[in-house]
Order: sequence, then structure tokens, then C-alpha cells
Amino acid sequence: MTCERFEELLSAYLEGEISPADKLEMEAHLAACPACAGLLVLFREAHEALTSFAEVEPGPDLMAKLYAIPLKKRFFNFKPVFTFLVRPDLQPVMAALSVFFIAVSFVFFLPQGHDTRKAINRQLHLGYGQVEKLYAKAGSVTDELGSLKNTVVDSLKTLNPAKDQEEKR
Amino acid sequence: MELNTIVKECLEGRQGAWETLMDMYAKRIFSMAYQFCGSRQEAEDLTQEIFLKLYNSLAKFDFQRNFTAWLLTLTKNYLIDEYRRTRWEKTQRDEFDERILPQTSLAGPEESLDRRETRAVIWEGLNRLSSEMRMAVILRDLQGKSYEEMAGILGLPLGTVKSRVNRARLALAEVLKDKKGVLS
Repeated sequence: MTCERFEELLSAYLEGEISPADKLEMEAHLAACPACAGLLVLFREAHEALTSFAEVEPGPDLMAKLYAIPLKKRFFNFKPVFTFLVRPDLQPVMAALSVFFIAVSFVFFLPQGHDTRKAINRQLHLGYGQVEKLYAKAGSVTDELGSLKNTVVDSLKTLNPAKDQEEKR
Repeated sequence: MELNTIVKECLEGRQGAWETLMDMYAKRIFSMAYQFCGSRQEAEDLTQEIFLKLYNSLAKFDFQRNFTAWLLTLTKNYLIDEYRRTRWEKTQRDEFDERILPQTSLAGPEESLDRRETRAVIWEGLNRLSSEMRMAVILRDLQGKSYEEMAGILGLPLGTVKSRVNRARLALAEVLKDKKGVLS
């Protein structure tokens, strides 16, 4: 038996899962090879040390965190929203939005953007004025509709004179 | 209560089911993480992540399978992936801690000292193994799994598992030899 073969069979030898023929060969090799005999001692010591490590108790803090996993998931379940936002299809949209916001930040925070800010202000005021006009028009339309409604009601009343007379009595 | 029933109750959100599952598995998974990474703090973080992953994938569990083997496979995958992702930060294990030794195994004072040193060397030596070899030796010698169970958990042929465990033990024997050579 070679030293390499001896090494290959060490675990099986130690765990008693070796054929009787291999066992005899190993023992013959052990008697003739001091290096392999020394290796067997170390191998056995390493194995004993490994099997002596006991399981470790998790602390109460860790247990409390583990018990709380379902609660944590229930209250902070933002993952679907997050995964929706970071999906690859949305990458061009996100890139475009980033460029847009960078451009907007230049306009708002650089001194050179003064004219642009002024133009935006003017546009906003114009827009506001138009909205106000529309609102005023909408008010007058409501008044007109009100008076139209009254006219229609009066004319309907005149169409039914019998009922009118009864009401007068 | 049967394990599959507990898992089903967890899926239904039944009160107390998740806690029962944690009581059954927290110690085993925490120990495995600690033995693998060698740091208590890191093992706590890893254990939380593993159980969070379990909670998220519980709905995918096939009730025809063995739950323990499934959880151990999930744990193994997570630990190895995490090791590969941050391997450069994990060169140091916690100082060897007497708390991880059973107190009953101590014999005479001299022998106990020698054995304690051997254990400390082996504990440190686990870091010299590749993540795959370390996981194999942890499952076999520290978690006491059979080779057949290990083949299922690791998704490897039986022969490969046996040879991996043997190589890991040989590597640790070499570490011991180096250390003893330095001491003598």
C-alpha cells in the first residue's frame, strides 16, 4: 500500500467502514511507515477535537429578533415596491428622470439660471392668471345656468294652470 | 406536533407556529453559522438572515421533502455564498472560547491542557479550509450528519462527500502537525 492510498482510507479506517482486506493492508503499512503512523495519531486527534465542539446557545436577544421576523415582514413589507422600482425595464426611465432632475437643479441653483427662473416665474404667473379668468368665467356660467333654470321652472308652471289655481285656493 | 403541520401553520400565520419552529432550529443553525464563520457577532447576523430567507421562501417548500434537510441546504448555500462574497473580511476567527467545549470530557490536568490546545488549533485551523471542505467537516463532525444525509444537503455523490470530509480532516491534521512542530 502507498502512503497516498493510506491517506485516502484514513476516515474509513477511523470510522470502522473499511473492508477487512484494506484494514490488514493499512495495518501492515502502519508498522512499516513511521510518517503514516504519526499522521494517524494527528488525524485521530483532529477528529476528536472536531467532534468535541458542542452546539452554541443563541442569546435571548437573538431569539427575540428571530421570533419577531414575521412581524417585521408584516410592517415593513416594502420589498415588492422596491423590486418594482429597480427592475431592468425601468432603467431608461430612471436614467431619464435623473438627467431631468440634474438639469433642473442646474437651473435652480446656479446664478446663470437667473433668466430661466424669471421666465419660469412669468409663465407660472400667466398660467395662474388664466386659471383665475377661467374660474371667474365658470362662476358667471353657473349664474346664467341658475337664471335659466328659474325661467324654465316658471314657464313649466304656466303650462299647468289647473294645478296653479288649486295651489292659489 | 408534526413538523409539516408546524410549517403549514407558519404559512397560515397561526400564532406561535413560527416561535415553535425557531425553538426547534435556532440553536442548530446558529451553531452551524458560528462553526463556519468563527465569529459570534457575525453568526448572529447570519442566523437572522438565514431565517429571514427561510420565512420568505417557506411558501416554496415542497411538503414531500424533508424539512430539516431543506433548511440545512438553504443554510449551507447562504453561508458559502456569503463567504465567497466577503471572503477578504473573514480571515480572523474569534479567540478560541472554552464555552464551546463540553466540560465533561476533561481528564487529568495535563491531558486536559494538551487537548484544549489541540482544540484551539483545530478551531483556528477551520479557517484554513476552503468553504466547501469546511462545510463538509462541520456537517459530518460537528453536526453529526450521516454521509447519506450530507449527500442530500450538499447535492453531491456519496463518494465525493466522503473524499471531501477525508481531505478536510487531513488538512486539519497537517495544521496540527505544523503547530506541534513549531512547539517542539
